Amino acid sequence: MGAMTLVDGPTIEVDSLTKRFRRSVTAVDDLSFTVQPGRVTGFLGPNGSGKTTTLRCLLGLVRPTQGRALVGGRAYADLADPLHVVGGALEASGFHPGRTGRNHLRIIATAAQVPLSRADDVLEFVGLADAARRRVVEYSLGMRQRLALAAALIGDPGALILDEPANGLDPEGIAWLRTFLRARAAEGATVLVSSHALAEIQQTVDDVVIINRGRLVHAGPLAGLADRSSGRVLVRSPEADRLMSALRDAGAQTEPRADGSWLVIGLSPAEVGHQAHVGGFELHQLSAEPDALERMFLDMTGGAA
Amino acid sequence: MSAGVGTMLATEWRKTATTKLAWVLAIIAIGYSSLQAGMLVLLAAPGILDRLAGTATTPTGMLTNPDYLTSTLGQVSTASTFVLLMGIVAMTGEYRHMTITSTYLASPRRSRVLVAKMLLFAAIGVAVAVLTMIAVTITLMVALIPFDHAPLTADMWLSVLLGSVIGLVLYAVLGVSIGALIPNQVAAIVTALLWMLLLEPLIGLTFPKVGMWLPGDALKAAMDVGLRSEFSGQLVSADTLPVWGGILLLIGYAAVFGAIASRTTLSRDIT
Repeated sequence: MGAMTLVDGPTIEVDSLTKRFRRSVTAVDDLSFTVQPGRVTGFLGPNGSGKTTTLRCLLGLVRPTQGRALVGGRAYADLADPLHVVGGALEASGFHPGRTGRNHLRIIATAAQVPLSRADDVLEFVGLADAARRRVVEYSLGMRQRLALAAALIGDPGALILDEPANGLDPEGIAWLRTFLRARAAEGATVLVSSHALAEIQQTVDDVVIINRGRLVHAGPLAGLADRSSGRVLVRSPEADRLMSALRDAGAQTEPRADGSWLVIGLSPAEVGHQAHVGGFELHQLSAEPDALERMFLDMTGGAA
Repeated sequence: MSAGVGTMLATEWRKTATTKLAWVLAIIAIGYSSLQAGMLVLLAAPGILDRLAGTATTPTGMLTNPDYLTSTLGQVSTASTFVLLMGIVAMTGEYRHMTITSTYLASPRRSRVLVAKMLLFAAIGVAVAVLTMIAVTITLMVALIPFDHAPLTADMWLSVLLGSVIGLVLYAVLGVSIGALIPNQVAAIVTALLWMLLLEPLIGLTFPKVGMWLPGDALKAAMDVGLRSEFSGQLVSADTLPVWGGILLLIGYAAVFGAIASRTTLSRDIT
Protein backbone atom coordinates (compact mmCIF):
# COMPACT_ATOMS: atom_id res chain seq x y z
CA MET A 1 0.00 0.00 0.00
CA GLY A 2 2.90 2.34 0.69
CA ALA A 3 3.93 2.30 -2.95
CA MET A 4 0.39 3.26 -3.95
CA THR A 5 0.38 6.40 -1.82
CA LEU A 6 -0.43 9.29 -4.13
CA VAL A 7 -2.35 11.54 -1.81
CA ASP A 8 -1.06 13.19 1.32
CA GLY A 9 -4.13 12.79 3.48
CA PRO A 10 -4.35 15.05 6.54
CA THR A 11 -5.10 13.65 9.98
CA ILE A 12 -8.54 14.55 11.29
CA GLU A 13 -8.58 15.29 14.97
CA VAL A 14 -11.56 15.84 17.24
CA ASP A 15 -10.31 17.03 20.59
CA SER A 16 -12.57 17.33 23.67
CA LEU A 17 -15.33 18.61 21.40
CA THR A 18 -18.52 19.81 23.04
CA LYS A 19 -21.43 21.45 21.27
CA ARG A 20 -24.47 22.75 23.09
CA PHE A 21 -27.27 24.32 21.10
CA ARG A 22 -29.06 27.22 22.80
CA ARG A 23 -27.46 26.30 26.13
CA SER A 24 -29.74 23.36 26.68
CA VAL A 25 -29.35 20.56 24.16
CA THR A 26 -25.90 18.96 24.33
CA ALA A 27 -25.42 17.43 20.90
CA VAL A 28 -21.75 16.52 21.34
CA ASP A 29 -20.27 15.91 24.77
CA ASP A 30 -16.50 16.00 25.32
CA LEU A 31 -15.81 13.87 22.25
CA SER A 32 -12.25 12.97 21.21
CA PHE A 33 -11.03 10.75 18.39
CA THR A 34 -8.50 10.74 15.58
CA VAL A 35 -8.93 9.70 11.96
CA GLN A 36 -5.81 8.45 10.19
CA PRO A 37 -4.91 8.93 6.52
CA GLY A 38 -4.84 5.88 4.30
CA ARG A 39 -7.81 4.30 6.06
CA VAL A 40 -11.57 4.44 5.81
CA THR A 41 -13.06 5.34 9.17
CA GLY A 42 -16.72 4.69 9.89
CA PHE A 43 -18.40 7.22 12.16
CA LEU A 44 -21.25 5.33 13.73
CA GLY A 45 -24.13 6.09 16.00
CA PRO A 46 -27.92 6.08 16.02
CA ASN A 47 -29.81 9.00 14.50
CA GLY A 48 -29.49 12.05 16.73
CA SER A 49 -26.31 10.84 18.41
CA GLY A 50 -24.29 13.89 17.33
CA LYS A 51 -22.59 12.60 14.19
CA THR A 52 -23.77 15.36 11.89
CA THR A 53 -22.99 18.07 14.45
CA THR A 54 -19.45 16.69 14.83
CA LEU A 55 -18.94 16.63 11.05
CA ARG A 56 -20.33 20.16 10.74
CA CYS A 57 -17.85 21.31 13.40
CA LEU A 58 -15.05 19.74 11.36
CA LEU A 59 -16.27 21.62 8.28
CA GLY A 60 -16.50 24.98 10.03
CA LEU A 61 -20.27 25.20 9.71
CA VAL A 62 -20.97 24.83 13.42
CA ARG A 63 -18.93 26.59 16.06
CA PRO A 64 -17.82 24.30 18.92
CA THR A 65 -18.91 25.30 22.41
CA GLN A 66 -15.67 23.82 23.71
CA GLY A 67 -12.79 21.84 22.29
CA ARG A 68 -11.49 21.67 18.75
CA ALA A 69 -12.20 19.93 15.46
CA LEU A 70 -9.13 20.02 13.23
CA VAL A 71 -8.11 18.85 9.79
CA GLY A 72 -4.35 18.60 9.31
CA GLY A 73 -3.91 20.48 12.59
CA ARG A 74 -6.05 23.43 11.53
CA ALA A 75 -9.59 24.59 12.05
CA TYR A 76 -11.52 24.59 8.75
CA ALA A 77 -11.82 28.38 8.70
CA ASP A 78 -8.01 28.64 8.85
CA LEU A 79 -7.44 26.50 5.76
CA ALA A 80 -6.11 28.61 2.89
CA ASP A 81 -7.69 26.44 0.19
CA PRO A 82 -10.35 24.41 1.98
CA LEU A 83 -11.79 22.73 -1.12
CA HIS A 84 -8.35 21.33 -1.96
CA VAL A 85 -7.86 19.93 1.55
CA VAL A 86 -11.27 18.60 2.58
CA GLY A 87 -14.19 17.42 0.51
CA GLY A 88 -17.37 17.60 2.53
CA ALA A 89 -20.72 16.12 1.56
CA LEU A 90 -23.45 16.70 4.08
CA GLU A 91 -27.16 16.05 3.71
CA ALA A 92 -28.35 15.95 0.12
CA SER A 93 -30.51 19.08 0.23
CA GLY A 94 -28.07 21.91 -0.40
CA PHE A 95 -28.90 22.51 -4.03
CA HIS A 96 -30.85 25.23 -5.78
CA PRO A 97 -33.66 23.23 -7.38
CA GLY A 98 -33.66 25.29 -10.57
CA ARG A 99 -29.96 24.91 -11.21
CA THR A 100 -28.55 22.08 -13.28
CA GLY A 101 -26.16 19.67 -11.60
CA ARG A 102 -23.48 20.86 -13.97
CA ASN A 103 -23.98 24.52 -13.05
CA HIS A 104 -23.91 23.66 -9.34
CA LEU A 105 -20.50 22.07 -9.84
CA ARG A 106 -19.23 24.86 -12.10
CA ILE A 107 -19.93 27.33 -9.28
CA ILE A 108 -17.82 25.22 -6.92
CA ALA A 109 -15.12 24.78 -9.57
CA THR A 110 -14.95 28.56 -9.90
CA ALA A 111 -14.64 28.96 -6.14
CA ALA A 112 -11.96 26.25 -6.02
CA GLN A 113 -10.03 27.91 -8.85
CA VAL A 114 -9.95 24.77 -10.96
CA PRO A 115 -10.87 24.59 -14.67
CA LEU A 116 -14.63 24.43 -15.34
CA SER A 117 -14.05 21.17 -17.20
CA ARG A 118 -13.42 19.62 -13.79
CA ALA A 119 -17.20 19.81 -13.24
CA ASP A 120 -17.77 17.51 -16.22
CA ASP A 121 -14.98 15.19 -15.07
CA VAL A 122 -16.48 14.62 -11.63
CA LEU A 123 -20.00 14.30 -13.05
CA GLU A 124 -18.73 11.57 -15.33
CA PHE A 125 -16.89 9.96 -12.43
CA VAL A 126 -19.96 9.71 -10.19
CA GLY A 127 -22.10 8.50 -13.07
CA LEU A 128 -24.20 11.64 -13.57
CA ALA A 129 -22.93 12.66 -17.01
CA ASP A 130 -26.31 11.96 -18.61
CA ALA A 131 -28.14 14.10 -16.05
CA ALA A 132 -25.58 16.93 -16.09
CA ARG A 133 -27.85 19.44 -17.82
CA ARG A 134 -31.01 18.52 -15.96
CA ARG A 135 -32.25 20.70 -13.12
CA VAL A 136 -31.60 19.33 -9.65
CA VAL A 137 -35.34 19.38 -8.86
CA GLU A 138 -35.64 16.40 -11.24
CA TYR A 139 -32.92 14.42 -9.44
CA SER A 140 -33.70 11.41 -7.25
CA LEU A 141 -32.26 11.19 -3.73
CA GLY A 142 -29.56 8.85 -5.02
CA MET A 143 -28.63 11.30 -7.77
CA ARG A 144 -28.40 14.12 -5.24
CA GLN A 145 -26.08 11.97 -3.14
CA ARG A 146 -23.89 11.45 -6.19
CA LEU A 147 -23.96 15.17 -6.94
CA ALA A 148 -22.94 15.97 -3.36
CA LEU A 149 -20.06 13.53 -3.67
CA ALA A 150 -19.06 15.05 -7.02
CA ALA A 151 -18.98 18.47 -5.35
CA ALA A 152 -16.72 17.10 -2.62
CA LEU A 153 -14.30 15.77 -5.23
CA ILE A 154 -13.94 18.97 -7.28
CA GLY A 155 -10.79 20.17 -5.53
CA ASP A 156 -9.23 16.68 -5.44
CA PRO A 157 -8.92 16.91 -1.64
CA GLY A 158 -6.79 14.67 0.56
CA ALA A 159 -9.61 14.20 3.05
CA LEU A 160 -13.24 13.24 2.52
CA ILE A 161 -15.90 13.87 5.16
CA LEU A 162 -19.16 12.28 4.09
CA ASP A 163 -22.40 12.30 6.09
CA GLU A 164 -24.52 9.19 5.43
CA PRO A 165 -23.37 8.98 1.79
CA ALA A 166 -25.06 5.63 1.23
CA ASN A 167 -28.54 7.01 2.00
CA GLY A 168 -30.75 6.73 -1.03
CA LEU A 169 -28.19 4.87 -3.13
CA ASP A 170 -29.26 1.68 -4.87
CA PRO A 171 -27.24 -1.49 -4.18
CA GLU A 172 -25.18 -0.85 -7.29
CA GLY A 173 -24.43 2.66 -6.08
CA ILE A 174 -23.47 1.41 -2.62
CA ALA A 175 -21.07 -1.12 -4.16
CA TRP A 176 -19.59 1.63 -6.34
CA LEU A 177 -19.19 3.93 -3.33
CA ARG A 178 -17.48 1.16 -1.36
CA THR A 179 -14.98 0.51 -4.17
CA PHE A 180 -14.32 4.22 -4.56
CA LEU A 181 -13.76 4.89 -0.86
CA ARG A 182 -11.46 1.84 -0.53
CA ALA A 183 -9.43 3.01 -3.55
CA ARG A 184 -9.26 6.56 -2.28
CA ALA A 185 -7.94 5.42 1.10
CA ALA A 186 -5.47 3.10 -0.64
CA GLU A 187 -4.11 6.14 -2.44
CA GLY A 188 -3.43 7.71 0.94
CA ALA A 189 -6.51 9.86 1.49
CA THR A 190 -8.24 10.29 4.84
CA VAL A 191 -11.83 9.09 4.63
CA LEU A 192 -14.41 9.70 7.36
CA VAL A 193 -17.86 8.41 6.57
CA SER A 194 -20.85 8.41 8.89
CA SER A 195 -23.67 5.93 9.11
CA HIS A 196 -26.40 4.94 11.54
CA ALA A 197 -26.10 1.26 10.56
CA LEU A 198 -22.90 -0.70 10.99
CA ALA A 199 -24.00 -3.31 8.46
CA GLU A 200 -24.17 -0.61 5.78
CA ILE A 201 -20.46 0.23 6.00
CA GLN A 202 -19.06 -2.88 7.64
CA GLN A 203 -17.38 -4.02 4.43
CA THR A 204 -16.02 -0.55 3.68
CA VAL A 205 -14.29 0.62 6.82
CA ASP A 206 -10.95 -0.13 8.48
CA ASP A 207 -11.64 1.77 11.68
CA VAL A 208 -14.77 2.64 13.56
CA VAL A 209 -15.66 5.51 15.85
CA ILE A 210 -18.91 4.75 17.65
CA ILE A 211 -20.78 7.46 19.53
CA ASN A 212 -24.03 7.58 21.44
CA ARG A 213 -25.73 10.66 22.90
CA GLY A 214 -22.75 12.74 21.82
CA ARG A 215 -20.24 10.64 23.75
CA LEU A 216 -17.57 8.26 22.53
CA VAL A 217 -18.49 4.60 22.98
CA HIS A 218 -15.68 2.91 21.08
CA ALA A 219 -12.86 3.85 18.74
CA GLY A 220 -10.47 1.48 17.04
CA PRO A 221 -9.98 -0.93 14.17
CA LEU A 222 -13.09 -2.77 12.99
CA ALA A 223 -11.07 -6.00 13.28
CA GLY A 224 -10.82 -5.51 17.05
CA LEU A 225 -14.55 -5.08 17.29
CA ALA A 226 -15.08 -8.17 15.17
CA ASP A 227 -12.81 -10.19 17.50
CA ARG A 228 -14.84 -9.10 20.48
CA SER A 229 -18.01 -10.17 18.74
CA SER A 230 -16.59 -13.54 17.64
CA GLY A 231 -17.52 -15.10 20.97
CA ARG A 232 -21.03 -15.72 19.67
CA VAL A 233 -21.23 -19.04 17.86
CA LEU A 234 -24.14 -20.96 16.35
CA VAL A 235 -23.95 -24.72 16.85
CA ARG A 236 -26.14 -27.55 15.60
CA SER A 237 -25.57 -31.13 16.75
CA PRO A 238 -27.59 -34.34 17.15
CA GLU A 239 -25.89 -34.65 20.55
CA ALA A 240 -26.61 -31.05 21.53
CA ASP A 241 -27.47 -31.68 25.20
CA ARG A 242 -24.17 -33.38 25.99
CA LEU A 243 -22.17 -30.99 23.80
CA MET A 244 -23.72 -27.94 25.53
CA SER A 245 -22.94 -29.45 28.89
CA ALA A 246 -19.29 -29.85 27.83
CA LEU A 247 -19.20 -26.27 26.52
CA ARG A 248 -20.66 -24.92 29.76
CA ASP A 249 -17.94 -26.80 31.60
CA ALA A 250 -15.44 -24.98 29.36
CA GLY A 251 -16.88 -21.65 30.52
CA ALA A 252 -19.48 -20.82 27.86
CA GLN A 253 -23.06 -19.72 28.21
CA THR A 254 -25.52 -21.58 25.98
CA GLU A 255 -28.94 -20.61 24.74
CA PRO A 256 -31.30 -22.82 22.73
CA ARG A 257 -32.79 -21.17 19.67
CA ALA A 258 -36.19 -21.63 18.12
CA ASP A 259 -34.81 -23.38 15.02
CA GLY A 260 -33.15 -26.14 17.08
CA SER A 261 -29.67 -24.70 16.96
CA TRP A 262 -27.80 -23.34 19.98
CA LEU A 263 -26.13 -19.99 20.58
CA VAL A 264 -22.83 -20.38 22.42
CA ILE A 265 -21.53 -17.20 24.04
CA GLY A 266 -18.00 -16.75 25.35
CA LEU A 267 -16.04 -19.13 23.12
CA SER A 268 -14.63 -18.61 19.63
CA PRO A 269 -15.67 -20.95 16.80
CA ALA A 270 -12.22 -22.61 17.07
CA GLU A 271 -12.68 -23.26 20.79
CA VAL A 272 -16.15 -24.73 20.25
CA GLY A 273 -14.77 -26.95 17.47
CA HIS A 274 -11.98 -28.11 19.75
CA GLN A 275 -14.41 -29.08 22.53
CA ALA A 276 -16.56 -31.01 20.04
CA HIS A 277 -13.52 -32.84 18.71
CA VAL A 278 -12.25 -33.72 22.22
CA GLY A 279 -15.68 -35.02 23.29
CA GLY A 280 -16.23 -36.84 20.00
CA PHE A 281 -19.51 -35.02 19.25
CA GLU A 282 -20.98 -34.96 15.78
CA LEU A 283 -21.42 -31.36 14.46
CA HIS A 284 -23.94 -30.30 11.82
CA GLN A 285 -23.25 -26.60 12.06
CA LEU A 286 -20.51 -24.48 13.55
CA SER A 287 -20.54 -20.81 12.55
CA ALA A 288 -20.08 -17.35 13.97
CA GLU A 289 -23.42 -15.68 14.58
CA PRO A 290 -23.99 -13.78 11.32
CA ASP A 291 -25.17 -10.45 12.74
CA ALA A 292 -23.02 -10.58 15.87
CA LEU A 293 -21.25 -7.33 15.04
CA GLU A 294 -24.50 -5.49 14.45
CA ARG A 295 -25.92 -6.83 17.75
CA MET A 296 -22.85 -5.63 19.56
CA PHE A 297 -23.15 -2.22 17.92
CA LEU A 298 -26.79 -2.00 18.99
CA ASP A 299 -25.87 -3.01 22.54
CA MET A 300 -23.21 -0.30 22.62
CA THR A 301 -25.55 2.39 21.38
CA GLY A 302 -28.38 1.61 23.73
CA GLY A 303 -30.15 -0.96 21.63
CA ALA A 304 -31.93 1.56 19.44
CA ALA A 305 -32.55 -0.16 16.13
CA MET B 1 -3.72 30.55 -3.51
CA SER B 2 -6.50 31.65 -1.19
CA ALA B 3 -9.47 32.85 -3.19
CA GLY B 4 -9.12 36.54 -4.05
CA VAL B 5 -11.79 39.12 -4.78
CA GLY B 6 -11.84 38.22 -8.49
CA THR B 7 -12.51 34.55 -7.77
CA MET B 8 -15.22 35.36 -5.27
CA LEU B 9 -16.90 37.79 -7.66
CA ALA B 10 -16.77 35.21 -10.46
CA THR B 11 -18.30 32.61 -8.13
CA GLU B 12 -21.09 34.94 -7.05
CA TRP B 13 -21.79 35.94 -10.64
CA ARG B 14 -22.09 32.30 -11.65
CA LYS B 15 -24.56 31.70 -8.82
CA THR B 16 -26.73 34.63 -9.84
CA ALA B 17 -26.54 33.92 -13.56
CA THR B 18 -27.67 30.31 -13.08
CA THR B 19 -30.91 31.19 -11.29
CA LYS B 20 -33.99 32.20 -13.22
CA LEU B 21 -35.40 34.61 -10.64
CA ALA B 22 -32.51 37.06 -10.99
CA TRP B 23 -33.07 37.32 -14.75
CA VAL B 24 -36.83 37.59 -14.34
CA LEU B 25 -36.45 40.47 -11.85
CA ALA B 26 -33.99 42.26 -14.14
CA ILE B 27 -36.36 41.93 -17.08
CA ILE B 28 -39.29 43.14 -14.98
CA ALA B 29 -37.21 46.12 -13.85
CA ILE B 30 -36.46 47.09 -17.44
CA GLY B 31 -39.97 46.38 -18.72
CA TYR B 32 -41.82 48.09 -15.89
CA SER B 33 -39.75 51.28 -16.14
CA SER B 34 -40.28 51.43 -19.90
CA LEU B 35 -44.01 50.87 -19.48
CA GLN B 36 -44.20 53.68 -16.92
CA ALA B 37 -42.33 56.05 -19.23
CA GLY B 38 -44.57 55.16 -22.16
CA MET B 39 -47.69 55.68 -20.06
CA LEU B 40 -46.50 59.10 -18.92
CA VAL B 41 -46.06 60.17 -22.53
CA LEU B 42 -49.46 58.91 -23.59
CA LEU B 43 -51.25 60.42 -20.61
CA ALA B 44 -49.65 63.80 -21.31
CA ALA B 45 -50.35 63.65 -25.02
CA PRO B 46 -52.90 66.19 -26.18
CA GLY B 47 -56.36 64.76 -26.52
CA ILE B 48 -55.82 61.40 -24.84
CA LEU B 49 -57.58 62.18 -21.58
CA ASP B 50 -60.31 63.97 -23.48
CA ARG B 51 -61.07 60.82 -25.29
CA LEU B 52 -60.88 58.68 -22.16
CA ALA B 53 -62.93 60.93 -19.91
CA GLY B 54 -65.04 62.73 -22.47
CA THR B 55 -63.93 66.07 -21.03
CA ALA B 56 -61.45 68.69 -22.06
CA THR B 57 -59.10 68.67 -19.08
CA THR B 58 -55.86 67.63 -20.75
CA PRO B 59 -53.06 69.98 -19.78
CA THR B 60 -51.74 71.26 -23.03
CA GLY B 61 -48.13 71.43 -23.95
CA MET B 62 -46.77 69.09 -21.30
CA LEU B 63 -44.68 67.15 -23.77
CA THR B 64 -43.11 70.39 -24.91
CA ASN B 65 -41.90 71.04 -21.38
CA PRO B 66 -38.32 69.67 -21.11
CA ASP B 67 -38.76 69.15 -17.36
CA TYR B 68 -41.69 66.86 -17.92
CA LEU B 69 -39.63 64.85 -20.41
CA THR B 70 -36.77 64.64 -17.91
CA SER B 71 -39.07 63.24 -15.26
CA THR B 72 -40.48 60.78 -17.81
CA LEU B 73 -36.97 59.65 -18.61
CA GLY B 74 -36.43 59.50 -14.85
CA GLN B 75 -38.78 56.49 -14.68
CA VAL B 76 -35.55 54.51 -14.94
CA SER B 77 -35.31 54.97 -11.19
CA THR B 78 -38.39 52.77 -10.59
CA ALA B 79 -36.04 49.87 -11.38
CA SER B 80 -34.48 50.50 -7.95
CA THR B 81 -37.24 48.50 -6.26
CA PHE B 82 -36.45 45.48 -8.40
CA VAL B 83 -32.68 45.58 -7.94
CA LEU B 84 -33.31 45.81 -4.19
CA LEU B 85 -35.37 42.62 -4.49
CA MET B 86 -32.61 41.03 -6.60
CA GLY B 87 -30.10 41.70 -3.83
CA ILE B 88 -32.45 40.30 -1.18
CA VAL B 89 -33.18 37.19 -3.23
CA ALA B 90 -29.49 36.53 -3.94
CA MET B 91 -28.60 36.50 -0.26
CA THR B 92 -31.71 34.83 1.18
CA GLY B 93 -31.82 32.24 -1.62
CA GLU B 94 -28.63 30.76 -0.21
CA TYR B 95 -30.41 30.09 3.07
CA ARG B 96 -33.69 29.06 1.49
CA HIS B 97 -32.07 26.34 -0.61
CA MET B 98 -29.25 25.65 1.87
CA THR B 99 -26.65 26.34 -0.80
CA ILE B 100 -25.12 28.40 1.99
CA THR B 101 -23.47 25.12 3.05
CA SER B 102 -21.50 24.83 -0.21
CA THR B 103 -20.84 28.56 -0.10
CA TYR B 104 -19.25 28.46 3.34
CA LEU B 105 -17.37 25.25 2.57
CA ALA B 106 -15.72 27.12 -0.29
CA SER B 107 -15.31 30.34 1.67
CA PRO B 108 -15.36 29.76 5.42
CA ARG B 109 -14.72 33.44 6.11
CA ARG B 110 -18.33 34.41 5.94
CA SER B 111 -18.15 38.19 5.86
CA ARG B 112 -16.09 37.90 2.66
CA VAL B 113 -19.05 36.21 1.01
CA LEU B 114 -21.25 39.16 1.98
CA VAL B 115 -18.74 41.70 0.66
CA ALA B 116 -18.37 39.77 -2.61
CA LYS B 117 -22.13 39.70 -3.06
CA MET B 118 -22.34 43.44 -2.35
CA LEU B 119 -19.64 44.18 -4.94
CA LEU B 120 -21.31 41.97 -7.53
CA PHE B 121 -24.66 43.63 -6.98
CA ALA B 122 -23.09 47.06 -7.26
CA ALA B 123 -21.99 45.97 -10.73
CA ILE B 124 -25.41 44.49 -11.46
CA GLY B 125 -26.94 47.81 -10.38
CA VAL B 126 -24.84 49.59 -13.02
CA ALA B 127 -25.80 47.07 -15.68
CA VAL B 128 -29.54 47.19 -14.93
CA ALA B 129 -29.43 51.01 -14.82
CA VAL B 130 -27.76 51.23 -18.23
CA LEU B 131 -30.06 48.65 -19.83
CA THR B 132 -33.15 50.26 -18.31
CA MET B 133 -31.94 53.63 -19.52
CA ILE B 134 -31.61 52.30 -23.04
CA ALA B 135 -35.04 50.65 -22.94
CA VAL B 136 -36.75 53.74 -21.51
CA THR B 137 -35.04 55.96 -24.06
CA ILE B 138 -36.16 53.80 -26.97
CA THR B 139 -39.69 53.66 -25.55
CA LEU B 140 -39.79 57.45 -25.23
CA MET B 141 -38.44 58.05 -28.72
CA VAL B 142 -41.07 55.75 -30.19
CA ALA B 143 -43.92 57.05 -28.03
CA LEU B 144 -43.08 60.67 -28.79
CA ILE B 145 -43.08 60.27 -32.58
CA PRO B 146 -46.72 61.28 -33.15
CA PHE B 147 -46.57 64.33 -30.85
CA ASP B 148 -45.02 67.74 -30.64
CA HIS B 149 -42.39 67.52 -27.93
CA ALA B 150 -39.33 69.17 -26.51
CA PRO B 151 -36.05 67.65 -27.70
CA LEU B 152 -34.43 64.91 -25.65
CA THR B 153 -31.07 66.47 -24.89
CA ALA B 154 -27.77 64.87 -23.93
CA ASP B 155 -27.80 66.90 -20.70
CA MET B 156 -31.13 65.45 -19.67
CA TRP B 157 -30.03 61.99 -20.60
CA LEU B 158 -26.69 62.10 -18.78
CA SER B 159 -28.11 63.52 -15.58
CA VAL B 160 -30.82 60.86 -15.46
CA LEU B 161 -28.30 58.14 -16.29
CA LEU B 162 -25.87 59.25 -13.61
CA GLY B 163 -28.62 59.53 -11.03
CA SER B 164 -30.05 56.12 -11.94
CA VAL B 165 -26.69 54.38 -11.84
CA ILE B 166 -26.02 55.82 -8.39
CA GLY B 167 -29.50 54.91 -7.17
CA LEU B 168 -29.60 51.37 -8.52
CA VAL B 169 -26.09 50.56 -7.31
CA LEU B 170 -26.95 51.72 -3.80
CA TYR B 171 -30.28 49.91 -3.68
CA ALA B 172 -28.86 46.65 -5.05
CA VAL B 173 -26.17 46.71 -2.35
CA LEU B 174 -28.76 47.65 0.27
CA GLY B 175 -30.83 44.66 -0.86
CA VAL B 176 -27.94 42.28 -0.23
CA SER B 177 -27.42 43.74 3.24
CA ILE B 178 -31.14 43.40 4.05
CA GLY B 179 -31.03 39.78 2.90
CA ALA B 180 -28.06 39.15 5.18
CA LEU B 181 -29.88 40.71 8.10
CA ILE B 182 -33.12 38.78 7.45
CA PRO B 183 -32.06 35.43 5.92
CA ASN B 184 -35.67 34.20 5.73
CA GLN B 185 -36.53 35.03 2.12
CA VAL B 186 -40.27 35.59 2.52
CA ALA B 187 -39.79 37.65 5.68
CA ALA B 188 -37.12 39.79 4.01
CA ILE B 189 -39.20 40.49 0.90
CA VAL B 190 -42.38 41.20 2.84
CA THR B 191 -40.51 43.50 5.23
CA ALA B 192 -38.86 45.41 2.38
CA LEU B 193 -42.11 45.83 0.44
CA LEU B 194 -44.12 46.86 3.50
CA TRP B 195 -41.44 49.35 4.36
CA MET B 196 -41.14 50.86 0.89
CA LEU B 197 -44.83 50.90 -0.01
CA LEU B 198 -46.43 51.70 3.34
CA LEU B 199 -44.29 52.60 6.33
CA GLU B 200 -41.74 54.85 4.67
CA PRO B 201 -44.26 57.06 2.81
CA LEU B 202 -46.35 57.29 5.99
CA ILE B 203 -43.37 58.35 8.09
CA GLY B 204 -42.26 60.73 5.37
CA LEU B 205 -45.66 62.43 5.24
CA THR B 206 -46.09 62.60 8.99
CA PHE B 207 -42.55 63.52 9.99
CA PRO B 208 -40.70 65.02 6.99
CA LYS B 209 -37.69 65.74 9.20
CA VAL B 210 -37.42 62.03 9.97
CA GLY B 211 -38.36 60.95 6.46
CA MET B 212 -35.36 62.64 4.88
CA TRP B 213 -33.07 60.30 6.81
CA LEU B 214 -34.80 57.15 5.60
CA PRO B 215 -33.52 55.08 2.64
CA GLY B 216 -36.34 56.12 0.27
CA ASP B 217 -35.68 59.85 0.58
CA ALA B 218 -31.93 59.21 0.62
CA LEU B 219 -32.37 57.42 -2.71
CA LYS B 220 -34.32 60.35 -4.17
CA ALA B 221 -31.64 62.74 -2.94
CA ALA B 222 -28.81 60.59 -4.30
CA MET B 223 -30.41 60.39 -7.74
CA ASP B 224 -31.20 64.10 -7.97
CA VAL B 225 -28.00 64.99 -9.82
CA GLY B 226 -27.78 68.16 -11.93
CA LEU B 227 -30.66 69.84 -13.74
CA ARG B 228 -32.76 70.27 -10.65
CA SER B 229 -35.72 71.76 -12.43
CA GLU B 230 -38.66 73.87 -11.44
CA PHE B 231 -40.86 70.93 -12.24
CA SER B 232 -39.18 68.32 -10.05
CA GLY B 233 -38.50 71.00 -7.48
CA GLN B 234 -42.21 71.08 -6.80
CA LEU B 235 -42.31 67.36 -6.18
CA VAL B 236 -39.30 67.04 -3.91
CA SER B 237 -39.95 68.28 -0.41
CA ALA B 238 -37.85 71.03 1.08
CA ASP B 239 -36.31 68.63 3.60
CA THR B 240 -33.94 66.78 1.29
CA LEU B 241 -30.32 65.88 1.66
CA PRO B 242 -27.80 66.94 -0.97
CA VAL B 243 -26.74 64.30 -3.53
CA TRP B 244 -23.59 63.34 -1.66
CA GLY B 245 -25.54 63.22 1.58
CA GLY B 246 -28.01 60.75 0.07
CA ILE B 247 -25.20 58.60 -1.30
CA LEU B 248 -23.32 58.50 2.00
CA LEU B 249 -26.49 57.80 3.96
CA LEU B 250 -27.38 54.79 1.77
CA ILE B 251 -23.82 53.44 1.88
CA GLY B 252 -24.08 53.87 5.65
CA TYR B 253 -27.32 51.89 5.81
CA ALA B 254 -25.82 49.02 3.77
CA ALA B 255 -22.62 49.05 5.84
CA VAL B 256 -24.46 49.06 9.17
CA PHE B 257 -26.89 46.33 8.07
CA GLY B 258 -23.96 44.27 6.77
CA ALA B 259 -21.92 44.75 9.93
CA ILE B 260 -24.84 43.79 12.17
CA ALA B 261 -25.56 40.76 9.96
CA SER B 262 -21.91 39.63 10.13
CA ARG B 263 -22.08 39.55 13.90
CA THR B 264 -25.54 38.03 14.16
CA THR B 265 -27.31 36.14 11.38
CA LEU B 266 -24.23 35.28 9.32
CA SER B 267 -22.24 33.89 12.24
CA ARG B 268 -24.98 31.46 13.22
CA ASP B 269 -24.37 27.73 13.04
CA ILE B 270 -25.40 26.15 9.75
CA THR B 271 -27.28 23.04 10.81
